[in-house]
Amino acid sequence: MIHITINGKVVQAKDGEMLLTVIRREKIDVPTLCHHEAVEPSGACRLCMVEITKPEWDGWCDYVTSCLYPAADGLIVNTHAKKVNELRSSILDMYLARHPKSPEIRQLAAEYGVLKTQFEEVVDGDNCILCGICTRICDTMGFHAISMVGRGHGKEVAPPLNMAPTACVGCLSCAKNCPTNYIEYNMENGGLTIWKKDFEMVACTECGKTTITKEFAEYLSKNRDINIDYFRKCDECHRKELAGTMGRISNWDREARS
Amino acid sequence: MNIKNVKDLNKIKKETLAISKKHPKKVLVCCGTGCIANGATKIVESVRDGLAKRKLKDVSIEILKETGCHGFCELGPLVIIEPQEIFYTKVKPKHVDDILDKSFLENEIIEPLLFTNPVDGSKITKYNDISFFKHQQRIALRNLGKISAHDMKEYIGVDGYQALAKVLFKMTPDEVIEEVIKSGLRGRGGGGFSAGKKWKICKNIQADKHYVICNGDEGDPGAFMDRSIMEGDPHGVLEGMMIAAYAIGAKEGYIYVRDEYPLAVTHLEKAILDCERSGLLGENILGTDFSFTIKIARGAGAFVCGESSALMKSVAGEVGEPRAKYVRSVVKGLYDEPTVLNNVETLVNIPTIIRKGADWYSSIGTKKSTGTKVFSLVGKVRNTGLIEVPMGITLREIIYDIGGGILEDRPFKAVQTGGPSGGCIPESMLDLPVDFDSLTEVGSMMGSGGMIVMDDKTCIVDVAKYFLEFLVEESCGKCTPCREGLYQLHKLLEKICAGKGEMSDIEKMERLSENVMIGSLCGLGKSGPNPLMSTLKHFKDEYIEHIKDKKCRAGVCPELITYEILDNCTGCMACIPACGYDAITGKKKEVHIIAQDKCTKCGACYAVCNFDSILVS
Amino acid sequence: MKHNFENLHTIFDKYPKSQESLIAILQDIQKEYQYLPCEALEQTSEVLDVPLSTVFSVSTFYNSFSLTAKGEKIIKVCTGTACHIRGAKLLQDQLETHLKIKAGETTEDMKFTLEVVACVGACAMAPVVVVGDKYHGSVKVSRVKKLVKAK
Repeated sequence: MIHITINGKVVQAKDGEMLLTVIRREKIDVPTLCHHEAVEPSGACRLCMVEITKPEWDGWCDYVTSCLYPAADGLIVNTHAKKVNELRSSILDMYLARHPKSPEIRQLAAEYGVLKTQFEEVVDGDNCILCGICTRICDTMGFHAISMVGRGHGKEVAPPLNMAPTACVGCLSCAKNCPTNYIEYNMENGGLTIWKKDFEMVACTECGKTTITKEFAEYLSKNRDINIDYFRKCDECHRKELAGTMGRISNWDREARS
Repeated sequence: MNIKNVKDLNKIKKETLAISKKHPKKVLVCCGTGCIANGATKIVESVRDGLAKRKLKDVSIEILKETGCHGFCELGPLVIIEPQEIFYTKVKPKHVDDILDKSFLENEIIEPLLFTNPVDGSKITKYNDISFFKHQQRIALRNLGKISAHDMKEYIGVDGYQALAKVLFKMTPDEVIEEVIKSGLRGRGGGGFSAGKKWKICKNIQADKHYVICNGDEGDPGAFMDRSIMEGDPHGVLEGMMIAAYAIGAKEGYIYVRDEYPLAVTHLEKAILDCERSGLLGENILGTDFSFTIKIARGAGAFVCGESSALMKSVAGEVGEPRAKYVRSVVKGLYDEPTVLNNVETLVNIPTIIRKGADWYSSIGTKKSTGTKVFSLVGKVRNTGLIEVPMGITLREIIYDIGGGILEDRPFKAVQTGGPSGGCIPESMLDLPVDFDSLTEVGSMMGSGGMIVMDDKTCIVDVAKYFLEFLVEESCGKCTPCREGLYQLHKLLEKICAGKGEMSDIEKMERLSENVMIGSLCGLGKSGPNPLMSTLKHFKDEYIEHIKDKKCRAGVCPELITYEILDNCTGCMACIPACGYDAITGKKKEVHIIAQDKCTKCGACYAVCNFDSILVS
Repeated sequence: MKHNFENLHTIFDKYPKSQESLIAILQDIQKEYQYLPCEALEQTSEVLDVPLSTVFSVSTFYNSFSLTAKGEKIIKVCTGTACHIRGAKLLQDQLETHLKIKAGETTEDMKFTLEVVACVGACAMAPVVVVGDKYHGSVKVSRVKKLVKAK
């Protein structure tokens, strides 16, 4: 265990643990747009930057992304230093110029005092903030169905060759974790469409609800060693069934005891 | 050719020198990319045919040398006759017979082919009498233009691989590192970090593998020294890498070369193959325990790959996105192993430093920036090309003594150094000594050594806009400040150049620049606003002029200028077809007229007019 | 456009089958076909066992690669700093007018593709235009027409 000072308070941390983890544990609010527990940090949005210094640095301080900076003994961290706040406002201002219609961006920008961008708004700006959470999650899931395409200002998230991705199983991990709810999908008539790819859904044998695609069920069955029959029921019905089983067990117990 | 030990190496050296002594008369044809573009290949063929005609076919390989770049590309193809050191410029195939008969077989000089001093119009015969060469001191460029670039024997003849032999037999890796630290050699690729110290950190990290990477992905627009070195002295680069590998304990090395440099790739491939075949690369080099291999990784066009972590990803076949460097690549680099990344110019200096010693090297240059630096002196200067000068020389000496002053004697405005991460230096600082620290102090940087001279016809706001546009194109797009911030800075500059700027934009740009510098993930973004900041600092009045007076004094920004034809127009009609927009009308021998509503201010008429009749205001 | 993809295997055979070879292979494909055809990307992904999405990312990240077919001759206007201040923009403008296309486009007859590129490293002879693989230095407006004469 090591000790670091965050906003004047000495706290314990594991050596090498990322600063953001410690900060969040201390319930200090530092904004992030590209951070997600399930994937490796990338340091793309730069909103989690904090000011750091050490007594032996003679007053010199540095600005680092807390999601990627390992805690070290004696480090003094200021999560809301003046420069840091200015930087966050400026970054949110840039975001606002690019995605003026995104409610998530507008709200976060407002928290940092940016109600209207001072820059030129990007015409036809969409709400994809290029945080890369979707592509990183897709890679972590092992599908590699979508990726970052192009570079610079014209970068975008897309399936390979801009065609329905063969590798996608319709798990929806990308869409459900998008911080600006940008990734569109359509679930109707017992099917799912995402990234221009159509999926057939498995209907629950009990209630008829569709909650998982055939491809995803098959994938989980094959790779996670789960019997395919498990997916013929939806989660809810599985739980109902489980409750029934538990009830029967406790009834037997009671009967046995009496 | 087999080089199994030092004896073999020395034997080849002796033989090469003996042959060279037997044929003191030589015809050197520069075969750098510049000269080839100007037709050097045909000159080589003509010389070869000419020698055959003169019954010298058997020895033509000893006489005719296809050398690397002399740096004076604009005047190519260049031919040099040794031992007299006669320097011929702009040679055409039709001149070759004359050159062979008069200057090669006899001792005559062909005046019209000599170099004309642009300052006074006098003709200069000898290579080293030309001011462009006279003030130079060549260490990194030592073999360029002197030996056949693709001949390993010739490299060995000029003490090639002697430094390798020295370290393998007479020095421990630590001694090599200490020697390089003592020499004061700082990385020539941009940052200027001590090369020896980098090696030391890398060597001291326990790991399964260590790597050496040579960065030949010269991305700075306006710099081409690495290209010339790789083309003209590939073995020098390899030897530098071998010494680095021995020092840090690496067994594998990579050279990352821009794919846009096909000749460099070809020459390096040949040099590596020659080394592998002779035993200078591979297992048990020169009979010692040292084993080393080198692979070429071709870059694919991404300026951001100048950033070490991005380059290493690219070598591994991935997208060249940098990662946050709280752990340095020298500790955790290629495939997460400790890696030394040095640029071409840094590595090519190493063999000479080892052979001549750290004390010799550090006696050149200044105390904190030792040795020499190669610059590509280009732009609006009379003598353009590659030059190598001792550190500490002043900008004035470079531009006026070596460069011969500004083209057409126009007033000097600024010199840009350090590429897109650097800045513009104004006239008042011309006496600044050129070294790592002085350049940084005035808001520019050494970078890889691009030195672009600008005259009064260069608009400083346009230059800042140019660099920002380049960086917007080259930003990898991973982090927000660089992707969005540089984009907005460029938009603001576009606005100012279009005459729509407001005074508050200046402050806006300054604040945004500061945040982009603090907030960006890698060096590209962190230094991206430099060209803007340095021009704002030294040339603020030009910005204000664009904003307040809607004027571009250099006559560059189309929205702020007009083109008119003056009364001295001879009516030659040259400008009419040159205009791509049918904006010019007129009859022969009558003054032409530009229709302002059609004129796009492209400048084509100005470029073709021989009578100074186009007024830009 | 129809291609013969048999040559691809000659390219694949030159390199070890790992991601490290990806960029080199794409470069060879680009040289062979002047662009990266979809089928070639799919085969590369299979042969190297690298996800197609990664191959696509890499192909769209680097300047050397193009996903659309190019003309017989590629004209590159160097826009390096030295060329920029010696009038590269004007040359680009002239070439665009002559070829009736914008930079990045290909003429309808598929004869020419016009590109602007960052520094080709021939700064001492600025401004530079590269036609095919031939470098032209100190290019003047009056020479532009000659450069675009077919063949």
